[in-house]
Amino acid sequence: MKVAEAKALSESSPAADGATPVIVSKGLTVGYKLHRERKQLTALRNINLTINRGEFVVLVGPSGCGKTTFINAIAGLVEPWEGTIEVNGRPVTGPGPDRGMVFQDYALMPWRTVESNVRMPFELQNLNLSKEEMNERVRRYIKLVDLSGFEKSYPYELSGGMKQRVGIARALVSEPDILLADEPFAAIDAMTREAMQSELERFVANTGQTVVFITHSIDEAVILGDRVVVISYRPGQIKEVVDVNLPRPRFDYDVKMLPEYGEMRDHIWRLVKDEALQTARGVQ
Amino acid sequence: MATLDDSDRTSVEAHTDPSRIQDTGWTMSEVWSRYGPWVVTIVNLTAFFCLWQLFAMSGAINPLFLPSASSMFEALWHGLTTTAPPGAVVSGSIADHLFYSLRNLSIGLAIACVIGIPAGLLMGGNKYVEMILSPYVWALASLPRIALVPLFILFLGFTVKMQITIVVLSAVFPIMINAWAGVKTTEKSLLAAAKVFGASRSDLYTKVVFPYTLPFIISGVQQGIGRGLIGVIIAEIFGGSNGLGYLIRRSADTFNSSLMYAVLLVLVIVSLTLIQFTRWLEAYVAPWRHMDRL
Repeated sequence: MKVAEAKALSESSPAADGATPVIVSKGLTVGYKLHRERKQLTALRNINLTINRGEFVVLVGPSGCGKTTFINAIAGLVEPWEGTIEVNGRPVTGPGPDRGMVFQDYALMPWRTVESNVRMPFELQNLNLSKEEMNERVRRYIKLVDLSGFEKSYPYELSGGMKQRVGIARALVSEPDILLADEPFAAIDAMTREAMQSELERFVANTGQTVVFITHSIDEAVILGDRVVVISYRPGQIKEVVDVNLPRPRFDYDVKMLPEYGEMRDHIWRLVKDEALQTARGVQ
Repeated sequence: MATLDDSDRTSVEAHTDPSRIQDTGWTMSEVWSRYGPWVVTIVNLTAFFCLWQLFAMSGAINPLFLPSASSMFEALWHGLTTTAPPGAVVSGSIADHLFYSLRNLSIGLAIACVIGIPAGLLMGGNKYVEMILSPYVWALASLPRIALVPLFILFLGFTVKMQITIVVLSAVFPIMINAWAGVKTTEKSLLAAAKVFGASRSDLYTKVVFPYTLPFIISGVQQGIGRGLIGVIIAEIFGGSNGLGYLIRRSADTFNSSLMYAVLLVLVIVSLTLIQFTRWLEAYVAPWRHMDRL
């Protein structure tokens, strides 16, 4: 396999010696209060996971297993009940410019143009950039996601795939260390989805970002991830972490044709199957 | 570098890419689809007034109840082109009364906006304000406003203040309730996105909640205009010696049915113009919302 050669293409490799941990979750337990029912629901229990710089980590698991909660905890949208979550060595106390996020339903401001949506992170946080630098970055990232010429378009004028590329540009424009993606391609049709996966791989290969990516699709997990974290049903716990040693860029190597791909896919499916069945039956 | 397949490009590119646009020139069906509705409307309305004229001339209905279309237009023309001489106690001119009613309506609507928009936003944004105000808002909003007219006549007499108060009370609740609903229904994912990208609490309100709520406020104002117009006419019919409502009452009292029909026509035109204005405003301020509905 051309692993070594492919690894050399990306700036940093998770398996390489001297890997720096970027996200460290220790005994993380998070939940929600259900005020009406006077109950509280544990979404995630005792999550221990270290994510290194430049790593692409994919979380898979049945619906309601707490994947989104984990990403929200990294983003600083929810607080841990127990345990800690650290980003770059500091406990997370709230959102910050070191983390960008891509949302399943795009979450673009419908009253803002493409350009204005991409610029929004600059308006909300002070990054000590000059006006020229900001303009240049907005232009650069719109170009990176292949939307030059659409700067003045409104989201309602764009297709799903294009909207999500705006979402990606917005997440990348502040050049965060960490890119969080919550099922970003779930609402996009299959053909566009495959193209978007390959583009995302290219974007992060360029920027060397650490990515935490949620998906329901095992194929997507294997094709994108350096590691696939399988999470069990409620309360979410890590069932297994699968290393995906396939060469990058995955789309150039046509990894779907490799026997290892099928084995890996099958292995993850076995892990997820029982959990998915449990969810389907509605077992609490 | 990977590129997306062609199917991903949507309307925008189809409109901006010159190689995909061909000049077809004007065909008959395009001319008709653009100007047809206007032609139909003009023919339709002309036919309506001609039939009305013929029906009135046939004498089937007493002209006291149904004047001829021509005498209505005559009264309309006369009413709009003359104003009361200085020192007149009451005016018979439509122009004077129209101006009076529109002025009160505008003042009333302005006050309703100044009260209703912030109150609605506050109710949406703060659960305690909501808890405290909502019973009164629902009570007053559900009460037919006309039932309050005698009370305000008692308080304020047959004055401009009374008439404006009725307009404010009529228009303020739809504006307030719409603003409130807009804040309450702000999409959670937009708020989450803004938070992730560093929005402070005040940013959330100014950069997400308010723009999201703006089209709601505009449709509130739209409803407010309709209600306010009812309010102003009712207040004038009840009391006072000015305004289109007064002119309707007076023309009825003096058996001047041509004038009454002329005033009703003016009211239709005023109402349609105002509604059209708010539609245009909505399309201008929030094109995204209009497009979502298509």
